[in-house]
Amino acid sequence: MDSGSRISRRDFMKLATLGAGSLSLIAGCAPKHPPGRRVLSDDDAGLLGAIADRIIPPDEWPGGRENGVVSFIDRQLDGPYRRFRGDYRRGLDAMTGTCLEKHRKRFESLSAEKQTRLLGEMESGGLRDGGWKEGFSKRFFEMVRSHAMQAYYGSPRHGGNPDYASYRMMGIDYPPILGQNRYRF
Amino acid sequence: MVRTPLRILTVALVLLVAAGGGFYYYWNASSPRSTCESCHEIESSSALWAQSGHRDFLCKECHGTALSSGLHSLKEKGMMFVDHFTGGGPERIALDEEQVLEMTENCRRCHGTEYARWLSGGHSATYAAIFLNDRHNRAEQLNADCLRCHGMFYRGRIQDLVTPLSQKGPWTMAAAGQSNQPVIPCLTCHKIHREGSPAVPAEYAEPGKIFYSRRGSPSTVLFYDRYEKIHVQAPALPVLKLKENARDVKVSDDPRQRVCVQCHAPGAFHQAGTADDRTPRGVHEGLSCPACHESHSNESRQSCINCHPAISNCGLDVTKMNTTFLESRSPHNIHFVRCIDCHTKGIPPRRRPR
Repeated sequence: MDSGSRISRRDFMKLATLGAGSLSLIAGCAPKHPPGRRVLSDDDAGLLGAIADRIIPPDEWPGGRENGVVSFIDRQLDGPYRRFRGDYRRGLDAMTGTCLEKHRKRFESLSAEKQTRLLGEMESGGLRDGGWKEGFSKRFFEMVRSHAMQAYYGSPRHGGNPDYASYRMMGIDYPPILGQNRYRF
Repeated sequence: MVRTPLRILTVALVLLVAAGGGFYYYWNASSPRSTCESCHEIESSSALWAQSGHRDFLCKECHGTALSSGLHSLKEKGMMFVDHFTGGGPERIALDEEQVLEMTENCRRCHGTEYARWLSGGHSATYAAIFLNDRHNRAEQLNADCLRCHGMFYRGRIQDLVTPLSQKGPWTMAAAGQSNQPVIPCLTCHKIHREGSPAVPAEYAEPGKIFYSRRGSPSTVLFYDRYEKIHVQAPALPVLKLKENARDVKVSDDPRQRVCVQCHAPGAFHQAGTADDRTPRGVHEGLSCPACHESHSNESRQSCINCHPAISNCGLDVTKMNTTFLESRSPHNIHFVRCIDCHTKGIPPRRRPR
């Protein structure tokens, strides 16, 4: 071994101490998001929940927010839908910006009528200023609507539709009640 | 200065053991908030656990530590770190069957009475007892759906479990290691990460209001759906719609019964008494399964006396009547027996209890 590649005892001690100390840093990796969520902040979740409740409003059955649309999107943004993270960031920021500019309130604080009108503009591609350039408002609305439907009507295993609420709403018994054994002891 | 590799190696080893041991101790003794929850993949599970009745237990009590199952757990926990940094983790974190069975032993540590009852009842049957049953296998070919109620946590296929898949035996366990494992472990009907009942002291200043100040407790019973790999809360399970020819049978809306009928179910046409249906009809119509059966052992020897103190409406001791409660070969199944089954010449007027 040539002397250039040798490590002094002092250097070794320094490196070993650093290495050992860095192990404990993993525990100090404090969560960046509220408990129970992976990607979305409280503000993001509040806004997305309000949008979900306009797309699927609550009646005698839960609306989009209560039926897990936010938790579905949050979980999927950390998995297969990671590619949509940028679009959500841009869309949610643009939505908040538009509401503050037009109404001096966040979307969540607007009346249901104003929320619906704004989403209508978004759906038709009528929002063009700020972050909505290049027809993004229509694309964003379609993406959120599509994901809201997947959450609301999909399997609870993906994060939405807790305990199959939408299945019960549609009169679908799940899990099905089906006996098997055709013999008698 | 002459370097001694042995000395350096010894120092390195001591440092590694000290650092690793310290970290290991810290990780397993600290609150999940500063350890396991540091990974966002764990957060949703942890949030549920924080609401549950098991919130005072550390993760390791049920999940073990990185060393508790030797290389298996070391590899598993190691892969969690790798997945965390590569973003390759699963959509949902769930226990595999081996861990579910280990959990059963952990449940036993605190829930000894329930464990003993479960062990003495039909729901502690082993894979060998269920899948090597000669009489069953000749009458009905084993198929994938058997695993829905027997071995719901088994990750393989039915052909990986038992062979041959035909009505001609002899049958043997293809997965020999499964033979003595229970097919219906605790986590079939229970879940740790779920909403619980927060401890609230009673208000003794006004004892009469204690009842009214109580919150409804969430159901502790769920059903594990093998196909979706999730638990469904008992109140969210469908209520059985049962027919006796054209007549609608009155079925109890007890949420616990909804778990029972997931497996003790009638055939596809939902006709009473078909397939494995045991829904009470006749004199017991409308009662739920747990009205007579103890939850963990399914025992029902005390069931008559609970509702018929000493005597029945007929003035007879119901435990001595000719039903399957007294004698397994009685033609009068306790689940379906009617007044007319015994009183074939007409039902007599009600007598005063003696």
